[in-house]
Amino acid sequence: MKLAEALALVNGQTPRESPTWRVALVCGFSPLHLQTFLAAYLIRRIRGRFVAVETGIYGDLPGNLERFAGKRVDAAVAVIEWADLDPRLGYRSAHGWREGREDDVLKTALARLDQIRSGILRLSQEVSVSVALPTLALPPVFDPPSHWASTTALALRRAVAELGESLSGEPAVRVLDPQQIDRSSPPERRLSLASEFRAGFPYSLHHASAMACELSKLALPGTPKKGIITDLDNTLWRGILGEDGVDGISWDLDHDSQGHALYQAMLASLSRLGVLLGVASKNDAAAVERALERENLIVPPDLLFPIEANWGPKSRSVQHILNRWNVHADAVVFVDDSEFELAEVRDAFPEIETLLFPSQTDAIDGFLRRLRQRFGKASITEEDRLRGGSLRAAGERERHAAKTNPDELLARAEAKIKLHFDAPDQRSYELVNKTNQFNLNGRRVDEATWRSRVQDPARFLIAASYADKYGPLGKITVVSGRRGQNELRVDTWVMSCRAFSRRIEYEMLKAMFDRYRVDRILLDYVPTDRNGPLGEFLGVVATEDVGGMAVVARNAFAAGCPFLFSEVSES
Amino acid sequence: MNDIRSRLESCFNIVFPETPAADLPKASPETVEAWDSVATVTLFAVVDEEFNVSLLDENVEELVSFQAILDHLHSKLDRAAA
Repeated sequence: MKLAEALALVNGQTPRESPTWRVALVCGFSPLHLQTFLAAYLIRRIRGRFVAVETGIYGDLPGNLERFAGKRVDAAVAVIEWADLDPRLGYRSAHGWREGREDDVLKTALARLDQIRSGILRLSQEVSVSVALPTLALPPVFDPPSHWASTTALALRRAVAELGESLSGEPAVRVLDPQQIDRSSPPERRLSLASEFRAGFPYSLHHASAMACELSKLALPGTPKKGIITDLDNTLWRGILGEDGVDGISWDLDHDSQGHALYQAMLASLSRLGVLLGVASKNDAAAVERALERENLIVPPDLLFPIEANWGPKSRSVQHILNRWNVHADAVVFVDDSEFELAEVRDAFPEIETLLFPSQTDAIDGFLRRLRQRFGKASITEEDRLRGGSLRAAGERERHAAKTNPDELLARAEAKIKLHFDAPDQRSYELVNKTNQFNLNGRRVDEATWRSRVQDPARFLIAASYADKYGPLGKITVVSGRRGQNELRVDTWVMSCRAFSRRIEYEMLKAMFDRYRVDRILLDYVPTDRNGPLGEFLGVVATEDVGGMAVVARNAFAAGCPFLFSEVSES
Repeated sequence: MNDIRSRLESCFNIVFPETPAADLPKASPETVEAWDSVATVTLFAVVDEEFNVSLLDENVEELVSFQAILDHLHSKLDRAAA
């Protein structure tokens, strides 16, 4: 991004009257263009909020970390440079560039790193902190002749790496991967001495933009995709199954097809993180079945579900897979080696992200990295691990359902629901921010708001886990709101689409009535273009509309509630 | 020639969005309230990007008005084109 473009975005952003998203940019140098770029990239990532990037005092990184503690910002970004560890490691203090001072510089730097670590940890108690370790080169005074590695320079880098390692284990700290910034900003283009001397800002415009771009992704991570729909021929394997036969396709070094082996390994790895894997292939279904029986396949074939192998348009297969997964196209990546097929699918599903499987071996690494980044998650929950299996079980469940009526199916399901009262966790937060179809109003909640809500004693939070004889679904619904005089005011209610058709929504209303002994529940329902299923449910259970809130009355609910088969317990 | 002026006006518009276009030819720290040291560095960076020059390496004290920067760009770019 150019600085002019960043300034235009900042000048033209959502009016100040809109809710403000405040981010602390904590650094020791003059924040200048980094502040502008960071605001611009954040504006691109967050909609409907006024982005305010607040900064501290020049030359005092540890002090700035202290200053932002207690300031109630929504996120913090800490950018460390060598001069923050000791001014003699910067370019504005030439007096320190003398031989024989290396030990003293190292000692000062280590002490300063401890201060910075403590400051980041304190700040992370209140808000998530994204951290960039030094990205500029150490000044040339540390360069011994003939490109030898300097002991002091190596010790400094090790100390910084240890800081990054220890911080990366903290739940509310995200450390920027140095290799990521290496890819987007070549080291020789990072420093601007003209800017450093004139304004105390050491970054070139290019580096400032690259840093802001990467840091904005850490501070406001995008919603990870949920599934990959992959082609088979010249994608999952090398070769054309219909022409080369089952034994003619390959994925190994011997046949110059190792890139396909790595792709399979990546798919298997992503599946373990809860990513859904489906197949859309123009092929003979029986031949595909035989190919997937090959013993050396790296991605276990039972992870691929559903498999759409036919001669129809790929878009039709994609539609079948989306229906089976019950996810929207924008949550999916479609991978194929044919630009034509990618375009055909994009025409049918403009929201779907498509990735071309590269024909050049040297492009494989970049392709796999791009694919991996689409599914970035900070932590893996039990629900993530269960997702693929539960969908396959759902296929079996649907086949049963087709033969029987809903009550018979539910009665035989041996369903168990476990209610969790006022026990916030990462899964609950994720559900609120990624569920679309059963979502009361579509409002997303940032981490800071979520934290303050769950700590508010006037509010309640109920989550529920579900399991039946077809397998566990994990935590699948979250409802939250305020307790009032003889009523509950619900402003958040989401349920995973995997849990539909089990009357869990009725169980949740029943749990609210039973637990809080209120006569009515007011739901802040706002229709969105995707939450039709919840709207239909409220159409059945809500008896009136009060001030824009859908009202469910205890007596009417009890009279109209269908039989609930689940065994309900509390954690 | 006019191209340089209009491109420079665009740079000023981005850095000083509150300043009316008609006032730009006379713009200087005395006439534009927002023109402080930070704005100077920002303006120079935007101009550097637009014209592929390096005003930060120049004598900043002389480049303190729209007209001075315009004249400087003319002399620099015309010389390069010659």
